[in-house]
Amino acid sequence: MSVSGAVSEIVAERWVERTLAAYPAEILPFLSGEHDRFRNPVGQVIQESLTTLARELLGAMDNRATAPAIDALVRMRAVQDFSPSAALRFIFDLRPVIAEVCGEVTPQLESRIDELALMAFDRYLACREQIASLREKELRVRALSPAR
Amino acid sequence: MPETLVQIEQKAPRGDWRDPHVEFRKGSICYSAAAKNLGALSLPNPRAWQPMDADWKLPPDWKRIVLDGMKERLKKYRSFRLFMDICVRCGACADKCHFYLGSADPKNMPVVRAELMRSIYRRYFTLTGRLFGSLAGGRELTEDVIKEWFYYFYQCTECRRCSVFCPYGIDTAEITMMGRELLNLIGCNTNWVLEPAANCFRTGNHLGIQPHGFKDSIDFAAEEASEITGLDIEVPINRKGAEVLFVMPSADYFGTPHYYTLLGYLMLFREIGLDYTVSAYASEGGNFGLFSSHEMMKRLNAKIYDEARRLRVKWILGGECGHMWRVLHQYMDTMNGPADFLEVPVSPITGTVFENARSTRAVHICEFTADLIHHGTLKLDPRRNDHWIATYHDSCNPARAMGLLEEPRTILKSVCRNFHEMPENTIREQTFCCGSGAGLGTDENLEMRLRGGFPRANAVKYVKEKHGVNLLTCICAIDKATLPTLLEYWVPGVEVAGVHELLGNALVMTGEKERVADLRGELFAPEAHSVGSASEASHA
Repeated sequence: MSVSGAVSEIVAERWVERTLAAYPAEILPFLSGEHDRFRNPVGQVIQESLTTLARELLGAMDNRATAPAIDALVRMRAVQDFSPSAALRFIFDLRPVIAEVCGEVTPQLESRIDELALMAFDRYLACREQIASLREKELRVRALSPAR
Repeated sequence: MPETLVQIEQKAPRGDWRDPHVEFRKGSICYSAAAKNLGALSLPNPRAWQPMDADWKLPPDWKRIVLDGMKERLKKYRSFRLFMDICVRCGACADKCHFYLGSADPKNMPVVRAELMRSIYRRYFTLTGRLFGSLAGGRELTEDVIKEWFYYFYQCTECRRCSVFCPYGIDTAEITMMGRELLNLIGCNTNWVLEPAANCFRTGNHLGIQPHGFKDSIDFAAEEASEITGLDIEVPINRKGAEVLFVMPSADYFGTPHYYTLLGYLMLFREIGLDYTVSAYASEGGNFGLFSSHEMMKRLNAKIYDEARRLRVKWILGGECGHMWRVLHQYMDTMNGPADFLEVPVSPITGTVFENARSTRAVHICEFTADLIHHGTLKLDPRRNDHWIATYHDSCNPARAMGLLEEPRTILKSVCRNFHEMPENTIREQTFCCGSGAGLGTDENLEMRLRGGFPRANAVKYVKEKHGVNLLTCICAIDKATLPTLLEYWVPGVEVAGVHELLGNALVMTGEKERVADLRGELFAPEAHSVGSASEASHA
């Protein structure tokens, strides 16, 4: 494994830990310890998305990999019981994690983190807008039903 | 910069589960039942209120009502008393709830949800609890506890996945049912449950469709089925002396994609020459009484049997509905049974005796159709479904409440050439709920539904990516109403259909005109075009 690969693994591991810490303590052992993606979809989405994002952040920063990873994670957090700031906080957790692992956050990484944050904002808003439009669609169907 | 902007909570608050405080947030709760619906059903405490209000306007003696109600039910239902006593907190159920998996809220662990009620049971109905209170695991019954019950018992879809894993066989859904019954005693109920129940009580179906509207809808479907097939298809309504009373969920004749399933039923019945009738009175298979109280469930269920008696049919055939089958299979017999004025169902086509329905005299359409296919009585051309790559969602109630696992698969594999199962631990008895059952399927609760439906959607996404699945089939009206929204959010590009819709596509009817499109009007895949030819069609 390359040096950057090893570093990205450590970054991902600590990043996952920090992100999971936002969930209630009672569920943490399950979220971090159950590796079946169907038994533990929330834990697996966090694990897979953050691993991809850490790899891309320290690597090629390929949009074809980062966009689906951001979408999967933000889509999930957009419907969980988080305020918008708490839902997207995981992006900003990257700074202390990288500083801890690499010693410093270089200007290039700073700018990449900003880029991820902006992508996450876009996805979050898109998800919330989609929820509103799905709700509206269901309401329309309901309004057409004969009883209501 | 204002200080509040930099004071962002990094961690969720850590609390004791015994603290009953919950926050009601729009988007993840169901609204209260309208007073008119409580009035229509003669339920107590009709009033204007909402869960977000500080004052729920409970009756002054609400605490006595709830405790008396609990006492009465502990005596009346042995299962309830047993479930209050025997849990050993082994945790086998803890990570099995789709709401827990999707929301990561510890109070959605089935064991904790049940504990919300057990703690009250201990405090008021056990000696140690009365003497030692919280030291013996008891909690005081306060208004906050009532609010917490409302929040969590209307956040359980009674799907019973957790029960599959309980070594003691505790049916956690029954604890939810008891919780809702007690809440009903003081007027804490949701409109999405009570309005359909009130409608059903008044007109015979959830949507409140009156007899002339019912006839119009059925006639419209019969006309469309006739146009599609070129055959004369008529649907008898309220016909006395028919052999079979067919009861379906009302969504089948008024919802989409349910409607295509209805077309499938009608074509099947025409092809085999079934002597049947539908009823404008028993025009609802579903029973939202199940989601409020045993009494309500009994009242609504009785209509089907009253109508079967009035129409002098021999037995009942039921459509693709979910909780209808939980009620029929597990409660009907002791509520309104035995239905000994009916006959043990026998297929008039194959002669099969449905021994499993000896008591309720009600057969599921999938059992009936799978039997027809097993005996090779239908001419089917599965190529007509080649434009679909299907998977099957075991709807919770038919799967877990009546063990209907193979029959829908038998049908699907006979009518569709592209079928892929979702992963083993997400189907059959372990199927994940749609997240919208038990009266939670309303738009105002969409965020909660999306959380609860996430584990199911996650498995659908897997087969979509692996096999290109573009159709999720199921046999429940609530699934068909709510899964399209769920999939649009989590797995865009996958549609939802009933099993009998695909059967209707594949069914080669005697004397039918050449068919070029499926029941949705979508053209068949190119090689399936010449499907009217009997020689090319396969006998199942």
